[in-house]
Amino acid sequence: MDTFIQLTVDALTLGSVYALIALGYTLVYGVLKLLNFAHGDVFMVGSFIGFGVLQLLGGTSNPAVPVWVLLTLVTLAAMAGCAGLGVAIERFAYRPLRDAPRIAPLISALGVSFFLANSMQLLFGAAPRNYDTFALSNGALYLKGFDVGDVRVPLLRVITIGSAFVLMILLWLLVNRTRTGKAMRATSFDREAAAMMGIDIDRVIVFTFVLGSALAGAAGVMFALRVPTQVSIGFVAGLKGFTAAVIGGIGSIPGAMAGGLLLGFAESYTQGYVSTKWSDLVVFSILVAFMIFRPQGLFGRADIRKV
Amino acid sequence: MALLELRGVSLSFGGLRVVSGLDLHVGEGEVVSVIGPNGAGKTTLFNLITGVYRPDAGEILLDGASIVGLQPHQISRRGVSRTFQTLRLFLNMSVKENVMAAAYGHTRAGLVRSMLRTPGMRREEREIEALAERRLAFFGERLMGYRWDQPAYSLSYANRRRLEIARATATNPRILLLDEPAAGMNPAETHEITELIGRLRSEGGYTILVIEHDMHVVEGISDRVVALDHGIKIAEGTFEAVATNPQVVEAYLGTQTAATK
Amino acid sequence: MSDTTPHAATPSPAEGPAVGQDEWVARHAERRLARGGLLGTVEARLRTIPWWAWLALFVAAMCLVPAVESSGYVRRVAFDTVLYMLLALGLNIVVGWGGLLDLGYVALYGVGAYTYAFIASDQFGVHLPTLVAVPVTVIVGAIVGLLLGLPSRRLTGDYLAIVTLFFLQLFQTLTTNGDSAFGHDITGGPNGILNVDPFHLFGHDLAVQHAGVFAVSYFYVALGVFAVVYVALRFVNLSRTGRAWRALREDPLAAETMGMPVNWLKLLSFSFGAAVAALTGTLFAALNASVFPLTFYFTLLITVYVMVILGGSGSQAGVVLGALIVGPLLEVLRDPDKSRWVFVLAVAAGLALSYRLSRRLAAILAATIGFGFAVHEVAGAIDSRWVAGQHATGLGGSIAHWVVVPAHLAGWVPPVSYVGLISAALLLTIVDPRVRQVLLVPTLYLAAFVWENVMLADPDATRYIVLGVILIALMIVRPNGLLGERRVEIV
Repeated sequence: MDTFIQLTVDALTLGSVYALIALGYTLVYGVLKLLNFAHGDVFMVGSFIGFGVLQLLGGTSNPAVPVWVLLTLVTLAAMAGCAGLGVAIERFAYRPLRDAPRIAPLISALGVSFFLANSMQLLFGAAPRNYDTFALSNGALYLKGFDVGDVRVPLLRVITIGSAFVLMILLWLLVNRTRTGKAMRATSFDREAAAMMGIDIDRVIVFTFVLGSALAGAAGVMFALRVPTQVSIGFVAGLKGFTAAVIGGIGSIPGAMAGGLLLGFAESYTQGYVSTKWSDLVVFSILVAFMIFRPQGLFGRADIRKV
Repeated sequence: MALLELRGVSLSFGGLRVVSGLDLHVGEGEVVSVIGPNGAGKTTLFNLITGVYRPDAGEILLDGASIVGLQPHQISRRGVSRTFQTLRLFLNMSVKENVMAAAYGHTRAGLVRSMLRTPGMRREEREIEALAERRLAFFGERLMGYRWDQPAYSLSYANRRRLEIARATATNPRILLLDEPAAGMNPAETHEITELIGRLRSEGGYTILVIEHDMHVVEGISDRVVALDHGIKIAEGTFEAVATNPQVVEAYLGTQTAATK
Repeated sequence: MSDTTPHAATPSPAEGPAVGQDEWVARHAERRLARGGLLGTVEARLRTIPWWAWLALFVAAMCLVPAVESSGYVRRVAFDTVLYMLLALGLNIVVGWGGLLDLGYVALYGVGAYTYAFIASDQFGVHLPTLVAVPVTVIVGAIVGLLLGLPSRRLTGDYLAIVTLFFLQLFQTLTTNGDSAFGHDITGGPNGILNVDPFHLFGHDLAVQHAGVFAVSYFYVALGVFAVVYVALRFVNLSRTGRAWRALREDPLAAETMGMPVNWLKLLSFSFGAAVAALTGTLFAALNASVFPLTFYFTLLITVYVMVILGGSGSQAGVVLGALIVGPLLEVLRDPDKSRWVFVLAVAAGLALSYRLSRRLAAILAATIGFGFAVHEVAGAIDSRWVAGQHATGLGGSIAHWVVVPAHLAGWVPPVSYVGLISAALLLTIVDPRVRQVLLVPTLYLAAFVWENVMLADPDATRYIVLGVILIALMIVRPNGLLGERRVEIV
């Protein structure tokens, strides 16, 4: 039972990270119909920006500001940095290809992903970067928290999961309750028609990249608060987020959240009860099962074939 | 017995009924035109017959056997071929290859034989090539000679329409579905299409079901005319009978000038 | 209207065709093709040489490599390049002809290498003869390719991309952890499988080493395999299956209604590409006498994609050319001194292509050189340690008089200069051409600085950064690559 609770907490943490990444894929896919392979690497860059800001503010053991300000600043910096990166990627790697054959931006995206990963490798090397979260506030983030049965749920986990959900709710409100959100939905429904209705498509797309990349930046920090980050996580995390988006129904915001959580649970329980080695296999099996039995995903709608 | 027969065919997208309870038959050697205002469900009808869409209800019979649920390529092998209103050529392939590709269904050489270039495979290739040349020659000089090796995208609009027809006939069909063959053509070319459809029947021996907006073409080619509106058959008969049918006139009202230009 | 004859649209020869009619289009295409002058004549002559003559010439030239070059290293690179050419040919089937984005391709190369290692090594004590083991491996590869294509049967490119990319990841997991699958050692884990049998042909083991240097027998075998595969693919491309693949790339729906079983054809192209990859895998495993999981990962995938795209996806000769360029390029970039030459030549070629041989080009070059010496002098005057680094000979030595190479780099310099360079380069693509010429000078100098101080320090990351940049730039500037036909989507 104790293991179960611990695994569940871990699943929620991991799942919300995946969900945040998946949201970036889904948002961009919604407006551009493009699978942005570089998204996983944006996430990785986010975790490094977070680390850099953490060091600038004095590191974990001797921070210059109170711990909650520190965490906020680190997260905001990662979000801002990734947003800028996302905009640059869109402007220079995808925009010139907007009217090209569909396979062209996909290949360009592969190139961006490879470029980002190797640039980070060049500048910072392959060594893992540890946020050393236990040292933060002398371990209070771990020692405090609340108990479920005999298991202590550390405060840091609560903060991570909580802020991920707050971000998701904010995004949902933004997309469903604001004018910009309406423009995004219109663009994803029919780009040409939206343009004719006077929506500035370029602005909507840039805004989408800002949102998606900022979420990836936040996810990068949350990920690195859990385990040390390194350059190579971009590929795997990107793949998982991408899978989560497809399972949830690509283009659907609740789908991305559900897909991310589903993946988090699948991975966490497999690692806890079966073996740490085979969680990829389980996730792949889920993906294949979806491809065969429900290709439109949990929340997606089956496409009507337009002729 | 009718070569192609539809019985009570219906199809909805979401809550929208696109075709409902449609009965239609096309006899061997007949030329039947389908007319109707935009959105009447004409192209949907073609997509139903060729297996792109599957009807919600009803039967589609080819030579008395149901073809509902078959894949488009299986239906093509049973003798149904079509052109597209929006022109869907294989743009980056040569003119001749466009036609040769369509011979896939009735040829047999597999990968291994192709890699080894066996005598049987080479014979079949020669036959495919000869077939393609015959099909292209049907259009006189327009698609001959140096045009064979040009990519399809270099063709003019009218020639693309002709190439679509050539490609459709290379599947060796029994019934040809032509989707607005005269759309976007100038008067001379339109006139030529009218003649061409006649020749497709008399020389090619094809049964033809055609969607057309140009009433001169419809008048010139049709044995029988079927009028659709909102997915329902509103009239059927000779051109004169259908063209003067009050329901048809009403369906076209407002678009009348465009339809009878 | 009834008196217009059907042929009225055909223009009389005297007037010539009107713009927009296909005679005009045709002649326009001819006009563009027919270049004048000596170059045009040469080009026209080259066109008349049949493809098999090119192939024979190329294979003959490759055969000479071991004869003129006795270095084992060069021979080894030549062998690897032939493997790359085979991989590129296989990927071209799926991407170039089928138009499908297969991101699990190199995993199938791995499947081939591992399968060969399973049935021809001490791992399970099975030692099948080469002429049995290779066909078996190819068939296994084809079947795995087919299975991989199955889940994405009805789906578009995006879904195919995710399933295949995940398969690549899964292949890593399986091979890395396969040393303790249910208590059995199957794949040897991260240490891979050692002592894989060499090829045994006509009563002889093919030796990898001969008198301490790389033996050429494998090179010739690989070259022979390449020639056979090239010809076989050429024949397939001009068969009914090849036409159907290209038709499906152009328009799947039209292909399907014209009698082509689109799903089956997709699977077939997947499977066929996988078979070529698996065949190449046997060569790899036999030559190296070992297989490791990490060989078959994202890096190799991108490398092969760059080859295919650079050469021209869809063109067989093109993708071979792509492999021929990228394979050796990756080797050259390992060595700082050669790498420097690549950088200088690439910058020179880039400038020459964008400005031709004009006065502007001369001005930019002169300004850049002058700017460099000035910066070098100023930096040296402020603090001599700033220019004290690196006293290599050759090009590196001369460049050190021009580029600032500090004896010791502060930690903040690499990220700041690198990010600055990337931003400057991107900015150059969007500013006004006149401003660009001015900004180009410091940007070029910054590029030289970053190359000398940051990128040469880590050749491995650098060469892959170069690949990434090539891939992005190609997709934007010239998606048809060097020899590919420019493809038209909608006209």
